Amino acid sequence: MPYAATRTSPQQHSRVASNGRAVAACAGHAGVPDEVARHHEHAVAAGQCCSVMVQSIAAPADAVWSLVRRFDQPQGYKRFIRSCHLVDGDGVEVGSVRELLVVSGLPAENSRERLEIRDDERRVISFRILGGDHRLANYRSVTTVHEAASEGGPLTMVVESYVVDVPPGNTVEETRIFVDTIVRCNLQSLEDTVIRQQAMAAPAAPHNDHNHS
Amino acid sequence: MSMAQVCCDSAVTAAPVAGPEAEARARARAERRRRAAEAGRWKHAAAAGTAAADATRKRSLEAGELLVARKHGAASVAGRRREMEDAVSVRESFAAEGDADGGGRRDFYGVFDGHGCSHVAEACRDRMHDLLAEELAAADGSGSAATWTAAMERSFARMDAEAMSAGGSAACRCDPHKCDHVGSTAVVAVVEERRVVVANCGDSRALLCRGGGAPPLPLSSDHKPDRPDELERIEAAGGRVIFWEGARVLGVLAMSRAIGDGYLKPYVSSVPEVTVTDRADADECLILASDGLWDVVSNEAACEVARACLRRGRARWCAEAAALLTKLALARRSSDNVSVVVVDLRRRDH
Repeated sequence: MPYAATRTSPQQHSRVASNGRAVAACAGHAGVPDEVARHHEHAVAAGQCCSVMVQSIAAPADAVWSLVRRFDQPQGYKRFIRSCHLVDGDGVEVGSVRELLVVSGLPAENSRERLEIRDDERRVISFRILGGDHRLANYRSVTTVHEAASEGGPLTMVVESYVVDVPPGNTVEETRIFVDTIVRCNLQSLEDTVIRQQAMAAPAAPHNDHNHS
Repeated sequence: MSMAQVCCDSAVTAAPVAGPEAEARARARAERRRRAAEAGRWKHAAAAGTAAADATRKRSLEAGELLVARKHGAASVAGRRREMEDAVSVRESFAAEGDADGGGRRDFYGVFDGHGCSHVAEACRDRMHDLLAEELAAADGSGSAATWTAAMERSFARMDAEAMSAGGSAACRCDPHKCDHVGSTAVVAVVEERRVVVANCGDSRALLCRGGGAPPLPLSSDHKPDRPDELERIEAAGGRVIFWEGARVLGVLAMSRAIGDGYLKPYVSSVPEVTVTDRADADECLILASDGLWDVVSNEAACEVARACLRRGRARWCAEAAALLTKLALARRSSDNVSVVVVDLRRRDH
C-alpha cells in the first residue's frame, strides 16, 4: 500500500565558501540510490530554500517514468496546467524550452521552463524556470524514479526536490508550504494517473503475482 | 329573381366555412401561448461573452388570478480573462413554499464563479436548485432559520460531493481523476413572499438595496482567508494562510470556502453561511454578483446604479441594471469574469 506523500526535512546545511559566495549544499537523502542522489544535491544560495518530497506508487517504475519523462506533455499527470507549448527544441533534447499556461485561481499566469536533464537510463529529469508571470525565481526541480524493494507487487519511489528563491516579503517556511502544496498535488496526481492506467491496461489481471527472478 | 337567389345561397354557404377555420386558428394560438409559457419556466441565464436576459412573465393561476413574476435580469461577461468560468442560475418557482407559510412561491437565483476550470460552476448552475428543492421537501414545514440553514448546508455538502466525484463537462473534458484542483464560489438566494434567504460559500456576494436613503444591506460576507474567523478556523485545522499575491490558503487559493477544491480540504470548506432576512416595503432590489464586480465596485455604487435604472421606470430595468453593472466593472478594469443578477423586490402594488 503506497503511503501518503511525506516531506523530508532537509538535513542541516553546512556552509562552504566558494568564490567569495556563501553556498550551502542540500545533502543527499536516504533511500535514493547513490548514482542519482547527487542530482538532488542542490547548491542553495543565501535567500533560497529547498525541499524534497517522496511518493511511493504501487506500479512498475517504467510505467511511472513514461509519464514523468514527458517534458513536452506535463499535463499528462500534473495539475494546474491549462496548456503546454514547446517554444524551442523538440522536448526530448536538453535545452528544450516549454511555455506553460496556468489555470485560473492560482497566483500565476504562465511559466517558461527549460529542460536541464533527461536521463532515461537512470530515470532522472530536471527543469529550470526561466521566467513567466509568477513569483518563483531561480526555481530548479529534479525528479527521479526508482524501483523500491517490495514483497508484494511492483513498487516505485518518486523523489522530487527543488531549490528556489524566497520571494521578497515571504519566509522560507511560507515558500516551502506554497511550493510543496503544488508538488504534492502533482505527485498524488501522478500516482492516481499511473494506477488508473495500469488498471485499464490489465483489467483481467489486476494483481500481477508473476515473480521475476 | 334568380340573381337574388344565387346571392342568398352564397351568403348561407360562407357562414359555416369561416367557423371551423377561425376556431382552429384560435386553438393553435392558445397552444403556442401554453408552450411558450411552459418553455419560459425553466429558462436560465447562463452566458458566454456578453448576454442579458429578462424573464418577466405574466402567468395565470388556476383561479384565474394574475401573478406577476418577479422582474429580474442577469448579465455575464468574460472580461479580460479569456475563459468564461462563471455560471448563473435563475429558477422561478423552483420549490413550493411550505404550508405553514400559507402558500406562495419561491424563486432561486445563483451566481457561481469557477476557478481551475468551468465545470464545477456549471454543475452548480445545473444541480444546486434541484438539491435544495429536495432538501426543502424533506425538511419540516416550519420554515425557521434553523431549517433553512440545515437545508442549505446539506445542499452545499451534496453539491460539493457531486462536484468532486464527477468529471468535466462535455465542454472541458477534464479527466475526473484530475479535477480536484477545480472549484467554484456559490452565492445562492431564495426569494419568498416574506423573506430572502441567502447562502454563501466563497467570495461572491449578495446585497439588498433598500430605498428611503437606507445604506445597502449585505446578505453575505466574503470568505477571504484573512477574515479573522476564517484565518482562525484554517489554522486550527492545521492549514496556513500565506500572503502570495494576496492572502491565500497555503499560498494557493484566494478564498477560504468553495465548492470543490478537494486538494485543499479541509482548509477550504464548502459549508455555507446562511442569512434569513425579512422583506420590507422599502426593499428595491437584490444584487448577486461575482467578485469580478465587487473587486472594483462598492456596495453603495452598485445600489446607486440599480436605483438609477429603477427610476427610469422601464419594464426591463433589472436587466438594464445587470448589464450596466457588468459594463461598469469592465470600465474599471476588472481582471476577472463578471456575473450579475438583479431581482426586483418591490411589492406587487408598485
